[in-house]
Amino acid sequence: MKPDEIQLKQASRATLYSLLNLTMLPIVGFISLCLLYRKTTSNTIDRYYVLLGIKTNLYAAAALFLVTALMIFMGGFESPWTWVYVISYFVFVHALFILFATWSMVRSWTGEKLKRSFLSK
Amino acid sequence: MRETFTKGMARNIYYGGGVFFFLVLIGLTVDTVKGLPATDNSENITEQVAAGKRLWEINDCIGCHSLLGEGAYFAPELGNVYTRFGESTEAIKAFIKYRPVDGVKGRRSMPQFNLTDEELEEIAQFLKYVDGIKTARNWPPNIQG
Amino acid sequence: MMKYESQGIAKMYFIAAIGLFLGQILFGIIMGLQYVMGDFLFPEIPFNVARMVHTNLLIVWLLFGFMGSAYFLVPEEAERELYAPWLAKLMFWIFLVAGVLTILGYLLVPYAKLAEITMNDLLPTMGREFLEQPTITKIGIVIVVLAFIFNIGMTVLSGRKTVINLVLLTGLVGLAVFFLFSFYNPDNLVLDKYFWWFVVHLWVEGVWELIMASLLAYVLIKVTGVDREVIEKWLYLIVGMALISGLIGTGHHFFWIGTPDYWQWLGSIFSALEPIPFFMMTLFAFNVVNKRRRDHPNKAAVLWALGTGVMAFLGAGVWGFLHTLAPINFYTHGTQITAAHGHMAFYGAYVMVVLTMISYSMPIMRGQKAANERAQVFEMWSFWMMTVAMVFITLFLTGAGILQVYLQRYSENPESFMVVQDKVAMFYWMRELAGLVFLAGLLLYIYSFFAKGKEVEFVEE
Ligand code: HEM
Ligand code: HEM
Ligand SMILES: [Fe+2]
Repeated sequence: MKPDEIQLKQASRATLYSLLNLTMLPIVGFISLCLLYRKTTSNTIDRYYVLLGIKTNLYAAAALFLVTALMIFMGGFESPWTWVYVISYFVFVHALFILFATWSMVRSWTGEKLKRSFLSK
Repeated sequence: MRETFTKGMARNIYYGGGVFFFLVLIGLTVDTVKGLPATDNSENITEQVAAGKRLWEINDCIGCHSLLGEGAYFAPELGNVYTRFGESTEAIKAFIKYRPVDGVKGRRSMPQFNLTDEELEEIAQFLKYVDGIKTARNWPPNIQG
Repeated sequence: MMKYESQGIAKMYFIAAIGLFLGQILFGIIMGLQYVMGDFLFPEIPFNVARMVHTNLLIVWLLFGFMGSAYFLVPEEAERELYAPWLAKLMFWIFLVAGVLTILGYLLVPYAKLAEITMNDLLPTMGREFLEQPTITKIGIVIVVLAFIFNIGMTVLSGRKTVINLVLLTGLVGLAVFFLFSFYNPDNLVLDKYFWWFVVHLWVEGVWELIMASLLAYVLIKVTGVDREVIEKWLYLIVGMALISGLIGTGHHFFWIGTPDYWQWLGSIFSALEPIPFFMMTLFAFNVVNKRRRDHPNKAAVLWALGTGVMAFLGAGVWGFLHTLAPINFYTHGTQITAAHGHMAFYGAYVMVVLTMISYSMPIMRGQKAANERAQVFEMWSFWMMTVAMVFITLFLTGAGILQVYLQRYSENPESFMVVQDKVAMFYWMRELAGLVFLAGLLLYIYSFFAKGKEVEFVEE
């Protein structure tokens, strides 16, 4: 089934919110994603990207905040080594999530899923 | 990108934005240069200091050291070395003068530049002048540079 | 298969560029070792000499790369032969000889002696970071660049004026204009530093971005077949954002050098916007490759183009932002954090865009649409080796930098510079290992030009 105009628009909005949540508008972006979810129906491209955005950001939150908190907890706030790990890790992994969200956004613009699905094409 | 956003608009952002902010940069530069005497310690630029700056350059001191945080990161910051050496130009001169020709085994060493006593004085005066430049928040954060 | 014969002039520029690149890396390795074995090659090649060889080779080979790229791209875009091919060849030799002589000068005589021989006293410009070249060499650079711009400019102005050509030309003119500030060297150190950045910052975070974006746009049109209109709109927006953020962004260098306090605000705010054009380049490359109309047989070139988008964003955008806000820069200014950022940004943006152009154009100049399959496999391996090595170099230097900031600047009992250097030596060892991997990648890259194998198949459009 070919996605219609509205679904395409919502798909690219979803990936934009996801990217914003990872960069300039944390939390606001996530709430927008959740609100957008209610406007989508199952098995559509926009639902796919809303879900992908939510998943990406939940993973990112876990990978960034949980792991970082764990590092600080285990290394101690006062140890310089804690900050060596925390800062390098946070900056690098955060950037990887941003790159992933960017690629998702580009894919959503052409109305395709992340992976080319050979069956439906 | 939306069709309503045309190439012409993008071009205007490029030329317009470029020219506008370039002019702003020029304006800020004029203002900065005018205001510098308040902080740049230029009243203490003597002939000796100027000669010291030239020596600093032709021996490429910046190739190992940083000065006010710019340069290389192989050897200590020298923007505050006058303070670090107890406000003594004599200590600075002695340090530069007595570097072993073949270095210190296994360690990073400073070359022996074979400067005359006069030149040593000029370099030391230059470093003293640099230390007198009023940097914002008194950078560097502490005496270690 | 070149459309215009004079495009072939690019080849000699690219060969020289790669040769000098190898030299740059060898001296990087020497310095990396001197960081941990301080007496290595002392006093024959002191660190400062190795450093100027390393950084000046970088700048010179990138200039060779930009010039070669322009000679390849401009005739095709302008739809005419180069205005004066003989001038391009002549300038090549002048630039190469001047460059090599200067490097030999650094290595063979003490720097102060070089200053004396080249009569630095007449117009003292030597001995400032990146601008170590004798004044006479600087004048040579100006002459070569002006002749180059004249040649390119005449070709552009009398031919088809594409957006790519016009943006490239403004970038090149800017490069020449801002280099003139290297001749201004007042006794007042604050003034000296202030205008030094008009060369360094306004190059890498200003006009070079225009050059980079137009080269990238050109290769992307070629390898993806995406509509020129779309690409040109992107190009304008990217370079527009580059100037809007980058010009006042210069202020991130005016925090602590005796300049007024307002730069802490202006520099922080505008330079915080500087990642945007780099992010847009990533987005641009991703988008255009995703929308490609054809699968170009030169897969290596596509990989380099995508890699440029990603690595420039990481090195300039992310690692730049990391230390660009004044309250953070207060602690990180002039530490290994700066070195980490400098390496990844230069590699990700300018090294990679030149290698993208070389990857796309070299096979064409050798009469093929793309290199043979085996050569491409080697080239792509070299891409991964160099790129991953650079990521690790950056991470290790970042680690060293964080420790350095903490122990020497942040801690309540700050330790002295040399003591801290000893404590972070492990990171320098790991950086050196990563550097050796980088070197191996570069050697493989060079080998890929000679590798024989099955020619790639493609359908002629
Ligand atoms: C691969 C092995 C490399 C090693 C081991 C290496 C090592 C070094 C070292 C030790 C310095 C001096 C840092 C200081 O001042 O204390 C330096 C500076 C520099 N290198 Fe490299 N380098 C390598 C590759 C590269 C590459 C590929 C590039 C360019 C893409 C590059 C660009 C630079 C720049 C721009 C500087 C000056 C940095 C600054 O002022 O902050 N280097 N390098
Ligand atoms: C491709 C683009 C870029 C390149 C090649 C580059 C390269 C460099 C180099 C080599 C230095 C060290 C200069 C020195 O020796 O003193 C430097 C410093 C710096 N860069 Fe970049 N840079 C780029 C983009 C950016 C961007 C986009 C930002 C900000 C978001 C940024 C922020 C900074 C800052 C704050 C410093 C000063 C570090 C200090 O205080 O020591 N750079 N850059
Ligand atoms: Fe900058």
